[in-house]
Amino acid sequence: MKRKIGLFGFVLLLVCVWMVPASHVFAKDPIILGVPTSLGFLEGKEGLACVNMAVDEINAAGGVKVGNETRPFKVIAIDARGAEPGVPVSDVIRAHKKLILEDKADFIVFGSFRSECAIACMDVVGQYKIPMILGTAMSPGMQKKVMTNYDKYKYTFRACLNAVYLIKYLGGTMAYLNKEFGFNKVYIMNQDVAWARKTGDLMIKLVFEKMGWEVVGRQQYPTGSSDFSAGLMKAKAKGAQVILPIFDMPQSGILVKQWKTMHIPALMAGFISPLAGPGAWKLFDGKIAGAMNCIFEIGNMPVPKVPKSVEFYEKYQKKYGKPIEAGHSPAPAYEMIYMLKEAIERAGSVNGDKVVAALEKTDRQGAMGRIKFGKDHQVIYGSNPEVEALGCMIQWQEPGKRVIVYPPSVAEGKIQLPEGLKSLK
Amino acid sequence: MLLGTLIYGFVNSAILALLAMGFNLTFGISGVANFAYGAVYIFSGFSVWILLNTLGIPYLLAVLIAILLAALMGLAIYYGVILRIKGMPLSEVMATFGLGLAIMELFRYFDFVGFRYTLPVFIDGSFSIGDVYIDYQRMIIGLIAIGLTFGLYLFTNHTRTGLAFRAIAQDERTALTFGIDADLVGGLSMALGCALAAIAAVVILPLGTIAVEGGYEVLINALAVCIVGGLGSTVGILVASVLIGYSQTITANYLEPHWMMLVSLIAIAIVLVVKPSGLFSHQKELEERI
Repeated sequence: MKRKIGLFGFVLLLVCVWMVPASHVFAKDPIILGVPTSLGFLEGKEGLACVNMAVDEINAAGGVKVGNETRPFKVIAIDARGAEPGVPVSDVIRAHKKLILEDKADFIVFGSFRSECAIACMDVVGQYKIPMILGTAMSPGMQKKVMTNYDKYKYTFRACLNAVYLIKYLGGTMAYLNKEFGFNKVYIMNQDVAWARKTGDLMIKLVFEKMGWEVVGRQQYPTGSSDFSAGLMKAKAKGAQVILPIFDMPQSGILVKQWKTMHIPALMAGFISPLAGPGAWKLFDGKIAGAMNCIFEIGNMPVPKVPKSVEFYEKYQKKYGKPIEAGHSPAPAYEMIYMLKEAIERAGSVNGDKVVAALEKTDRQGAMGRIKFGKDHQVIYGSNPEVEALGCMIQWQEPGKRVIVYPPSVAEGKIQLPEGLKSLK
Repeated sequence: MLLGTLIYGFVNSAILALLAMGFNLTFGISGVANFAYGAVYIFSGFSVWILLNTLGIPYLLAVLIAILLAALMGLAIYYGVILRIKGMPLSEVMATFGLGLAIMELFRYFDFVGFRYTLPVFIDGSFSIGDVYIDYQRMIIGLIAIGLTFGLYLFTNHTRTGLAFRAIAQDERTALTFGIDADLVGGLSMALGCALAAIAAVVILPLGTIAVEGGYEVLINALAVCIVGGLGSTVGILVASVLIGYSQTITANYLEPHWMMLVSLIAIAIVLVVKPSGLFSHQKELEERI
């Protein structure tokens, strides 16, 4: 009998031991994070990986404190395919509604890939009062909606760079090229999608016209294009010294190959997504020397002067066994989960309106520099990582190194001109 | 600019001809619908990539194995799917199109997405014609397209197997009375068509990246060339490729590249209204008249 009581007591003890940590960490329902992105694109794939990395870290550390209880995050991802040509916006809206209505998502993180979809989905999250933080879409149309009808659209925030800030980085680079080499003729080649069109338009209006540059031509390519010879021939014929590419599709790597094989005597300086990551040198057989590319958010590449960017970059590499290749999205995807955690803890609730108010007060030092939202719910980007979040311009230089050349606060080296192009000074 | 348009228009035409050749052989000549054609193209590209990068097989051998695999895949599709629904064209189209979707989405499911899926060029470097530079790979595409077009013309007009392919397409019952094994010829045409898709893939894909969604574009381009040229006509394929290829290049050079895709669609619409059998398909024209 004594043995039976002893055994019963032991089992009871085991059950209690098992239940104590469980009740401490996961007694309550998880906080559902819906991720409706485009997993067929590198930015979407690595962005989701970073969301998962942040969630794993937070859950391992005990979860999110909501008032008096602690709840874990749970990620439900949908490949909404909004970045692919031919996928209608209505499909992406349906993906958001599924996450909100069927999966009961408390928050939408990372959001839709393409601006056309993200802007349309602002109405959906506004209707259901679900806070959404964007991580890829770049059109300033999002901020305009927040500012013009705050009550309806206040649920949408953006952690990644937007087209206006991209222009500031590109404009700064163009000013530097003019000052150093005397260049003032540019040819613009952009993808025919909202953010890239808008970036091209604003570059002409806010940068080239004001700086007295001559825009010798512009061509817009539909997503999926695989031959850029027409634009390159025009750029050469019209004597462009700089080609400004603005692309985020996988096929845009072909542009660099053609630029090199067609011996176009112009500096390629802008954004081509396949050129952002460390694997690009090997991928293009080292034929990208001289090409300049914008890294939209630091952390996607380590910047020694911002230790948190190095820490994040190395953590990703350790967890997934490969480095970050996308120049846009991974760092904001990671940071937005921490922003949300802190906002929920400040609000003491997962109520949409309360979390929105708390998110507006975000102020953290992260992988992208200092992260704060403006009144229009856009993270503020600038040139000093102590004060604002940061993007940068790199140049591929021999022997396969990404050298930061802009902004001066984090620059590691000077711009080198590719073969066949000479300074005018 | 004019010289550039002529050179890159030729390359674009050659690419279109290569893309359409295999589709034309299976659907146009032997009457077997293979709407999984774009998927076979992508499958071949990924096969070479896997053989090269994962298994470390030499490039040339990897290319040959990929072409062989594509041919075997064609046979499997024919005997596993098409044979069961033969004689019902709509079912053939739907079944093969569905199969193609499944193959492409499987690649996406297994994470074959991103920039790293590229194939090396056959010969590195470029040369100039006048002041226009062109890379060797594009010239190789042009030469292979010309060679295969002549080869296909000779095959379908001057070999017993090629004539059997055409006989089946013209009238299967009559062909049977002449002792032609319709199933064997159908299977062979599928295998050969898929092998041609693989050849197109291994010579065209080194120009860029292997992307799953590229399969849809391949199918649309192949359809456009075949409809305009006339299903079953090798000469028609050549002429339609040149017409559409140069129209696209001129559109990109003198208008905007985003109108390029419209060129193919407008060409299809015009041909379907004016000459539904295509520019060079005399046999189909005769059938339509009867």
